[in-house]
Amino acid sequence: MSAVTATISEDKMGTARAKPAQRDEGARLGFRLTLPAQVLVLFISAFPLLMQLYISVTDWSPLSGIGWWNAWEMWNSFANYTDLAADTRFWSALQRTAVVMLVCVPAEFLLGLALATLFADDFPGKRIFYSILLMPMMVVPAVAGYMFFMLFQSGGPVNDILSRVVGGPVTIAWLSDPTLALIAVMIADIWQWTPLMFLILLAGLVGVPEDQMKAATLLGANAWQRFTTIVLPKMKTIIIIALAIRVIENFKIFDTLYIMTGGGPGVATETISVYIYKVTTQDLIWGYVAAIALAILIVLSIVAVYAMKRLAAARQGA
Amino acid sequence: MSAIHLRNLVKKFGDFTALKTMDLEIPDGEFMALLGPSGCGKSTTMNMIAGMEEPTSGKILFGERDMAGVPMGRRGVGFVFQNYAIFTHMSVRQNLAYGPSMRGAGKAEIDRRVGAIAEMLQLSPLLDRKADRLSVNILQRVAIGRSAIMEPAIFLLDEPLSNVDAAFRAVMRTELKQLQRQFRQTMVYVTHDQLEAMTMADRIAVMDHGVLQQVGTPLEVYNNPANVFVARFIGAPGMNLIKGKPAASDRGLVIDLGPLGVTPPLPDELASAVRAVRGDVLYGFRPEQVGLAERGLSMPVTFVERIGARTIVHLGEGESAVKAVFENDVGLSIGQTAVVAPPASSVRVFDAATGLAVKAG
Repeated sequence: MSAVTATISEDKMGTARAKPAQRDEGARLGFRLTLPAQVLVLFISAFPLLMQLYISVTDWSPLSGIGWWNAWEMWNSFANYTDLAADTRFWSALQRTAVVMLVCVPAEFLLGLALATLFADDFPGKRIFYSILLMPMMVVPAVAGYMFFMLFQSGGPVNDILSRVVGGPVTIAWLSDPTLALIAVMIADIWQWTPLMFLILLAGLVGVPEDQMKAATLLGANAWQRFTTIVLPKMKTIIIIALAIRVIENFKIFDTLYIMTGGGPGVATETISVYIYKVTTQDLIWGYVAAIALAILIVLSIVAVYAMKRLAAARQGA
Repeated sequence: MSAIHLRNLVKKFGDFTALKTMDLEIPDGEFMALLGPSGCGKSTTMNMIAGMEEPTSGKILFGERDMAGVPMGRRGVGFVFQNYAIFTHMSVRQNLAYGPSMRGAGKAEIDRRVGAIAEMLQLSPLLDRKADRLSVNILQRVAIGRSAIMEPAIFLLDEPLSNVDAAFRAVMRTELKQLQRQFRQTMVYVTHDQLEAMTMADRIAVMDHGVLQQVGTPLEVYNNPANVFVARFIGAPGMNLIKGKPAASDRGLVIDLGPLGVTPPLPDELASAVRAVRGDVLYGFRPEQVGLAERGLSMPVTFVERIGARTIVHLGEGESAVKAVFENDVGLSIGQTAVVAPPASSVRVFDAATGLAVKAG
């Protein structure tokens, strides 16, 4: 009797043990087979990062006369990072970038959402307006930079239109005034990237089930209540994605801005990317650049992780 | 509580007429089914009652109140959608509380009303569950509860059982009927399933091609169809209709069915009405009421369907094809000749030209 039970339990344990073991075997084989590909991917993604990390703790520059792999000879402990902490130009560039982001992204979001709400319903000429609306997104940023550079000239169309409105000559030096230059740059960014926001939000908006909207109406919800209780919660995921894309992209704002103002006047429109570009090409202190880049990467990673967490929470909630 | 009056209701979508002059009175507290094949205008009618669509012409009155221009949120109508349209991003509680909170009810009042309705619909243990992971019968109850909490005078249900599998439908039919007894509201129920209409409704409005064909209790519609469409549409299978000519005989008025011979004589009251018809008539009788007889219509068996308790025997071919339903296996097989006769009282006659029933008396 006891012998029988013993065999059975042993048998059970045997099979129970065999299954994970077999799975492990399969996993190990799979790991070995995909190893070359994994190494390649790891190399592609990790190599620039590691190289950057390596250079960021040295005084190396291309003019040092030694290859980057020998940069350890110029090791300066963490001087680059301590310099960075004390670099007021870096901190003001970071602050400026944040200001641009805090103005542009909400503006793009609200405009995009308003346009998406408008385009969710039918109206005459919708298709044409739709195409026109998407066009800025397809303009090469450098070209957009030149366009706005010309638009905001003292004798340019913007002043021209303003003088017609005011009824007297307007000669605002848009790109030479520190505040106005920043505003002009932000207008260009909003012009170019609202369409993307619009497109993503429209996709979310048309995905809101129509019968749930009708049900809400029948239960007495007005348009605003429907928007806040049905539309926005249903779009939560897509709103987080859209905002994350624009926050990260806007943080890296460069080409349009650089062509319009070159970061000037002075450092009035110098964002973090412009600052890095200048340090890289003008000052040629690459070790320092690597330190800045890593610092920014860490900041953006924190934003991305935060967004992903919110996204996961929204998914569970939706 | 509220009666619904539809007066000369017409709905056109461009050139297409979805509803041609509909007149219907739905008394307070009645369960009215709008029954018809897809595209018959039943959903359009319902949407106009709800205010989702404006009638092209005609009037909708709730009691004495003209509903023209009253937006759907102000009509006091509860609406259960085909797929229930539950707010999937909310909990059951939030779904139920939606109506009152949109109207600015206080938290204490909302809690009390949600509690009461949840108790009634046996949703209390599920109140804090997310609405996107509920089974169909619970979704249905949430949908009903969400509307019922507003205490609407009128409840509209748009094919609420069409997404449910057949076995479950029977359970939900009973549940719905019980709910209607509890709420005592005027209910309008749109369906293409005659079984649902027959089992639940107080009265049925049969519709086809935007025209109201007949209004009556389920038995009225079944026993005395107003026209050929209703005769064929109601019943499974529908009524047998064979073309023929009224002819006098020494036993009374009979119908000459051509190659099938003549029918047994019609009852006197029906006969006098049939005499007034000029031209061909359709001789109609229910497959369920056919019996094997000594004398009657002699027809070859072309097909036999055995569906458990019942046997459907197909007789004859072409225009004079007839179906007969027997409660047990009568032992007929293909090729045999069966002599069938409907009882005289269950025979219905229709004018072949107009399609309308010839009414006895």
